[in-house]
Amino acid sequence: MTSATALIADREIRQRMRTKGFAISTVLIVVLVLGIGILTRALSGSSDTSSVDVAVVGTVPTVFDQALLQAGRTNDRAVDVVPEPNRAAAESALRSGDVDAVLLVADRALVFHEEVDDTAQRVVDAAWQTAAGATAAQQLGLSPEQTARIVAPAPLRSTTLESNHDDAVGILVGIITAVVLFAAVSAFGGLVLTGVVEEKTSAIVELLLARVTARQLLAGKVTGIGTVALVQLTAAVAAGLIALAVAGTSIPSGVWIAVPTTILWFLGGFALFSTLYALAGSFVSRQEDAQAAALPVTLCVMAAYLTVFPLSANADSTVAVVLSMIPPWTPLLMPLRIATGSASWWQVAVGVALLVLTTVVVLRLAASIYSRTLLQRGRRISWRQALHLRSAAT
Amino acid sequence: MWEIRDEPVRLEAMLQVQSLAKRYGEVTALQEVSLTVARGQLVGFLGPNGAGKTTTMRAILGVTDLDSGRILWDGAPITEAVRHRIGYMPAERGMYARMKAREHIVYIGRLSGMDGREAARAADRWLERLGLTARAEAQVQELSSGNQQRVQLALALVTDPELLVLDEPFAGLDPVATDVLKEVLLERVEAGAALLFSSHQLDLVEEVSRDVVIIDQGCVVLAGEVAALRRSGTRRYVDLQFEQDVAWTPPVGTVVLKEPSHVRLAVDPHIDLSALLADAQAVAPIAGFSFEPPELSEVFLEAVGRSTVETEEADDVGDAKRGDEMDPLEHGA
Repeated sequence: MTSATALIADREIRQRMRTKGFAISTVLIVVLVLGIGILTRALSGSSDTSSVDVAVVGTVPTVFDQALLQAGRTNDRAVDVVPEPNRAAAESALRSGDVDAVLLVADRALVFHEEVDDTAQRVVDAAWQTAAGATAAQQLGLSPEQTARIVAPAPLRSTTLESNHDDAVGILVGIITAVVLFAAVSAFGGLVLTGVVEEKTSAIVELLLARVTARQLLAGKVTGIGTVALVQLTAAVAAGLIALAVAGTSIPSGVWIAVPTTILWFLGGFALFSTLYALAGSFVSRQEDAQAAALPVTLCVMAAYLTVFPLSANADSTVAVVLSMIPPWTPLLMPLRIATGSASWWQVAVGVALLVLTTVVVLRLAASIYSRTLLQRGRRISWRQALHLRSAAT
Repeated sequence: MWEIRDEPVRLEAMLQVQSLAKRYGEVTALQEVSLTVARGQLVGFLGPNGAGKTTTMRAILGVTDLDSGRILWDGAPITEAVRHRIGYMPAERGMYARMKAREHIVYIGRLSGMDGREAARAADRWLERLGLTARAEAQVQELSSGNQQRVQLALALVTDPELLVLDEPFAGLDPVATDVLKEVLLERVEAGAALLFSSHQLDLVEEVSRDVVIIDQGCVVLAGEVAALRRSGTRRYVDLQFEQDVAWTPPVGTVVLKEPSHVRLAVDPHIDLSALLADAQAVAPIAGFSFEPPELSEVFLEAVGRSTVETEEADDVGDAKRGDEMDPLEHGA
């Protein structure tokens, strides 16, 4: 980065972070994301994801505890047994929320506080039947080994004929990357777009272009606005992680391994899309025209994004392989293909090279059009005209 | 100690603009523009709207590329580093509305290649010189338009440039600001800087600068000292005031204006003035007499071969030519 580019980026960052709008929107984003987490937890209640504590009044066969744990595992719910001396003590524990259900052995009843928790009921019921079966078998004179063979047969083992690369965690990582990138570009691409038009509307552009090149100016603006966007995005992601923790959702540990490379892909993709918005902005001289000029870019980003979902299940299909090496798909598809282990090193290399090359070419094109539209102040030029101007100039 | 130089020392030629040409599609903005600015010289750059003043200035600053022609600085092709130090005020003024006055001046200083401390010192100095110290921390948008114009001037001056290129610097200024600007510019020229400034108001330029370059339809039509250019005109004007109303028919020249006691004549520069005076005196006593070269505007119109009326038409043509290319606000090109 040249020092002129750094100066321009620096001004951009200072100016934008100083505004009230920046403070307000950052706080809003964090509050919103945290709010969603808290709301999710409030709506779903605590019972769904945490362990089930069952108070038992009366004696149960020894096999019951074991069966309960086993049933909990198959239902993805940890179950704890809390012995209670009598019904009154158990019911007060239930009311105070110390336990989620009370099993009254003598009454053959399972008591909940306000509503029946279906999963807990299923788990306890399964354990109850297993225990009843075991008790009956013993009463019929079967040995403990024979009983065990009846109530706890060797479990089924599930296998597939062919192994499949598309592991769930890889797809999750890939899709999360694409979603976050798309969200960031949708939210902040507009900032780059309007930011690039700023110098033209304030008419300072000519003074600046007597000091720096259009390329330095645009690179500085994209870098500066991008940095500000990343600050907000980091705040949003941090809030998101806190919100997930609050909501009690666990993140598969495999996700974290992919984070460093994902960040690089994210930055690359963000740079490409920001530069495309800068290109759109370089065509126009008025803010009113900016949105219309950015429509092709917005559609291009949207189209690339939408292809991620059908392709995520077929990450090593020919279409996915080819598209993952072509910008603008690269930053959206390649992280998914890497995470699912279907990308070879040369495909990654080609993808990276084309991504960098495209970004540089788009920036050059934007700079060239930017300086040319200086002499066309006050109206929008078409893409064809701009390209014509460019070829006429070189 | 003596420095021996191969080439003769030419103090004048700091900026040499040689045969610039530039076309925008169908429109010829510059056809053949050459001019020279020396250290300590104040050059007025004149011409009707659309003549090519702005394009020439942009070319000097490198904002516009050229189809052909050269721009030399002290005899060598101009470099980017030199260009960045030229004080520039574009025809279309603009600043970042939300930047503070001092911050803005420092920013432009730094983009011009100054380091932070140097730019800050220069900003403080110019704020003080222009009476803006109290408003240094105000955002540009909070300043009065007069103060905004001063900040704009400071942006051009922050590098203490050897050359100032100002496009229509007096446009839109109130009388006080006009005086401040004249004063500051003359100070800079006094200090050895060179100044090239454009205007389409010929009278204003005559008042400020000794030297002018006149451009029309992309070509330089006249250049030199104002006095010499006026003398180069092919006629002179004689004004005769009589003590009483007269009915005098002058022996030579063409009557331009006839009032009861006042006659204005257009005559050949070399006529016998004493004979003319004697003829007039024979009619009635003379109260006043003057013999003057034409105004600069007339010399200009004569040089481009048009009357005033035609100039206005030519302006319209110029605007129409640019109509589908540019905003009417755009000067020059």
